Amino acid sequence: MLETFTPAVCGSRKRQIVAQALFAVSAVVTAAALGLVLGTIGNVLGAERAVLIAAALALLAAAREAGLLRLPLPQARRQVPERWRFELPLPVWASGYGAGLGAGFFTFHPVSTFWIACAGALALASPAAAALCFSLYGAGRALMVVWPRRHAGDPTAAVERLAGKRGALLRANAIALVACGVLLALAPTAGGGVRVAQNAYDPSYSGGVLAFATQAGNVVVRSPGRPQIVYENASQPALDRSFLAYVDGAGVRIVRWLDGTEVGRVPSRTARRPALDWPLVAFVRREGGWRRLVVRNIVTGGHRVHVSVRAGAQLGRPSLRGGRLAWHTVTRSQSSVLWKPLKGSKRVVMRSKVALVSNPSLYRSRILWTEERSGVSYVRLDWLGAGPRRTLERMRTRIRAYWTTTLGPGRGYWTRWALGTGAAAIYRGTY
Amino acid sequence: MPQPEGTRLDRQAERLSARLAESQTRKSFLGRLGAAALAIAGGSAVAAAVKPDEADAFHLCGHIWTTGSCPSPYPPLARIDRKGYPLHPSSGRPIDNLGRIVDSAGYAMDGNGNRLRGPDGAVLPPAPRTRVCEDWTREQKGLRDLRTQGSWFRCCSGRIRKVVDCCSFSRRRINGDASLTGYCWGGRRVYCVMYYDTGLPC
Repeated sequence: MLETFTPAVCGSRKRQIVAQALFAVSAVVTAAALGLVLGTIGNVLGAERAVLIAAALALLAAAREAGLLRLPLPQARRQVPERWRFELPLPVWASGYGAGLGAGFFTFHPVSTFWIACAGALALASPAAAALCFSLYGAGRALMVVWPRRHAGDPTAAVERLAGKRGALLRANAIALVACGVLLALAPTAGGGVRVAQNAYDPSYSGGVLAFATQAGNVVVRSPGRPQIVYENASQPALDRSFLAYVDGAGVRIVRWLDGTEVGRVPSRTARRPALDWPLVAFVRREGGWRRLVVRNIVTGGHRVHVSVRAGAQLGRPSLRGGRLAWHTVTRSQSSVLWKPLKGSKRVVMRSKVALVSNPSLYRSRILWTEERSGVSYVRLDWLGAGPRRTLERMRTRIRAYWTTTLGPGRGYWTRWALGTGAAAIYRGTY
Repeated sequence: MPQPEGTRLDRQAERLSARLAESQTRKSFLGRLGAAALAIAGGSAVAAAVKPDEADAFHLCGHIWTTGSCPSPYPPLARIDRKGYPLHPSSGRPIDNLGRIVDSAGYAMDGNGNRLRGPDGAVLPPAPRTRVCEDWTREQKGLRDLRTQGSWFRCCSGRIRKVVDCCSFSRRRINGDASLTGYCWGGRRVYCVMYYDTGLPC
């Protein structure tokens, strides 16, 4: 096809440049669109675990390119249709060739790298990032049209020279694929969160079961292998194994979520934001000029106030797990994420006079929370006490922000919401 | 010292700015008070001396030095109010630390002036709103001795702009190189700069 982009075929040097430009733009745009589609599919399918599959495929492909394995590639062994350049006007065939090569699926690939890139884009589960990455593939296609003309009068001679270095190119490709495989395997959360529920917020996870509130005013419990259970006119769910606490019109209600049997109730209408670690339930209660974080034993009826802040301050949704309690406070001058053993003193996980840190959730010795700064928001993970702090997801935007979180073994859930519309969705990420 | 700008009016403006700064470096309370009074009540006097064009700028209008802006919600435009709290660079309305326009009670507002609501439909609680020099820069740069001190005046968009130094004992400024004394006093040096638009015409 390279001999197509010559002054002789195009008609003049100027028309050749026009054809090359159209080819390049079309290849980049089409490749970016392919990346966008693959990233969107990955996002919809919840393919964050697929990053490990992509890593394995990259290593397999590396073995193939190194000649260690013989594997067929699923592809069309065609080339771009030659008749286009005789039958169609220059702008159409140049753009068509660019689109055909940029899309990748319709032409022959001597190596397997393209398919690994597709798997990586799926696993990335991020449409914009995948589009950006694939646009580089399109740019590479365009470069192959422009480059031979800059270094040799005859483009076919340039390609032949390149083919003569096939062995070195295959070895370089194999090394690149090994590097991709290793990097993908080492960064299983590189793709960020995967959406698991739309128009939903306040996730709570326990024992493989996820509960959340919907923006229609219900609480939904999703359990693998069962139809989802809906509790109407309910909000602020908190899950602990077979028990579910939520807020209704009369206070906090605790039920067995499978059959709805009520097992306990906090009757105060000012009780909000429950957290459950059966038989303990933590909740925020407003009393006069104070907000108090109370932990009550549903079986014995005993209760204890663990935190009190003035009503002007914000006392956030608590998390109660394994004898530990976490919460956040926000005042006009600072925000803090804190935790304490139920029989101990409070400790600061993070305090800031600049950032808004909030929405903590606990799982064993780990804590997840959100951190919002001007123009950028983070989902952070840390060990209680000392430990390396990790960022599970980051958003560089002013129009979306994070809301509540929940943490489980190897996975965390968090809410993203749009400030303009209020629309919220729950995302899952791994650690 | 400020760079000479070549015209007589500019030189007058330089002298006026220098006088304001000198009155502060003498640690004179009356001097500082006098500078503030001149800036606020006697703005016309400053206006008379400041050339009615855009002042030269390296990274924000009115700043002819190389020291970078302090960290703020809309970097590098560290616009502040009189007390050093952040303002929106274009509208001049108060913003919280997340860059959202807020009302007098600190609640974030949407474009129509209504309080923002969260995904649960409840009004969003206020986020922190803290001073750009003493809180933002202190936390982000790890300096505990930062103070808002010296300032000088320029004409920007037809209004007098007060460019304000955030000063520290650190010998290194926000750019990473050696800091200058500038209009700081008491041994402090300019760590980063902010600005306050007075609203007075020039």
